[in-house]
Amino acid sequence: MKKALIILVIFACMASLFAGGSSEDSLAAIKKKGTLAIATEGNWTPWTYHDASDKLTGFDIELGTLLANYLGVEPEFHEVPWESILVGVEQGVFDIACNGVGYTEERAQKFSFSEPYLYTEAVLVVRSDNTSVKTLSDLKGRKTSNSPNSTYAQLAESYGATVDYVDTLGETMMMIEQGRVDATINAKGSVDSYLEEHPEANIKVVQTVAGEPVCWPIRKGSQTESLLNAINSFLQQVRQDGTLAALSVKYFGTDLTKAN
Amino acid sequence: MTERLWSILVDSFPKLLWYGIKVTVPLTIFSFSIALAVALLVALIQYAKVRGLQQLCRFYIWITRGTPLLVQLYIVFFGLPSIGIRLPAFTAAMLVLGFNEGAYMSETIRGALESVSPGQIEAGYCVGLTFPKIMWHVALPQAFRTAFPALGNSMISMLKETSMAATISVMEMFRQAQVINGRVYESLGLYLEVALIYLVFCTFLTFLQRRGEKRLSSYGGKKQ
Repeated sequence: MKKALIILVIFACMASLFAGGSSEDSLAAIKKKGTLAIATEGNWTPWTYHDASDKLTGFDIELGTLLANYLGVEPEFHEVPWESILVGVEQGVFDIACNGVGYTEERAQKFSFSEPYLYTEAVLVVRSDNTSVKTLSDLKGRKTSNSPNSTYAQLAESYGATVDYVDTLGETMMMIEQGRVDATINAKGSVDSYLEEHPEANIKVVQTVAGEPVCWPIRKGSQTESLLNAINSFLQQVRQDGTLAALSVKYFGTDLTKAN
Repeated sequence: MTERLWSILVDSFPKLLWYGIKVTVPLTIFSFSIALAVALLVALIQYAKVRGLQQLCRFYIWITRGTPLLVQLYIVFFGLPSIGIRLPAFTAAMLVLGFNEGAYMSETIRGALESVSPGQIEAGYCVGLTFPKIMWHVALPQAFRTAFPALGNSMISMLKETSMAATISVMEMFRQAQVINGRVYESLGLYLEVALIYLVFCTFLTFLQRRGEKRLSSYGGKKQ
């Protein structure tokens, strides 16, 4: 019993350690150290991925680099799993996450979000021979697949589907092709680039719906207010001078910068 | 700790525990049973030096110990369907975990069997026992006592390895924590919470192991 209590206390201490944070203004701190610590997955085309020459690139990588330039500092990309991205931003390990993060109310409770810079579309994907699932409302009582942090999983559940969780898009598609699940709801850009890589894939898109606005999350709190303002004025500038739309066309083949 | 985090942890505790009892524990028990059966068979074949089968066992141990568990899970779950074998996720996880740990455990048991002094085996032959009888009545009981702590170790490590089954879509305790986290973004708190539940399960196993060892130590030799 005594031992159990000691363990509990250790755990509580660890939790409170991680919960603490500095009160220094983040924008000033970033300028002082001369780098912007950007968290990104690096394995999610076309947002953040490695090109044929293994160079990190993607929509959010280019935009993030422009942001760092705008702030007058060097971008410093940290490639970490999705799981670590949000917790790292929350704990102040990273200044910002450039990873096509969709805005949700739950996330907004934990993070400060920039203005939306893209409005994605989501698609409903089924196996080519599937004739019974045509729209989201056909998902009732069906099985879908997604990664555990996906907001699309929650969307599928809201239509009455049960979700089998896997870790990546490639596995999600295998779940469909092997007939283990009926469908997946996923980001249109990602499904498009999957189909580009795998034209032989035995899957088809049956419906396209409006997705969530995409924003950059940063740490919540008064010390990040000036950083948030700087980010928003950067976004306003690239939106006005056409850079944002051009990037969207470059990576997504279409202009997704306006609300749909 | 904020009130929000606290209420999330309290809400998710029964859900996590339920998946622990419903999936993690049965998966451990089934996989361990498979592992024990496989290990015993493989160890006996090697101990008895059955020609042909012995080489097959070495091959099995070589492949299983030489490749990552994660890859084995993937091949059985995502790979086998291409040759027409489509196993449900839980079955695939159970078989892979069982055969994986079985390879390690077979070496444990073989080592334990070889530690039984040859004189004992010869004595068995001298009193006219057959090889299976010598195994059952003489070698295995002693080997079991030697192997017991290491086998307990295997079971404890297997309990935690069941979390790997999440990667092939088995909804177990750790995946449940990830899914809850996907909604509330409290990874640190939730993962510590799920770690605590694993710790409780493992503590229980450690307790059983101690009890078992005490019991075995009074077997034969020194009665207490």
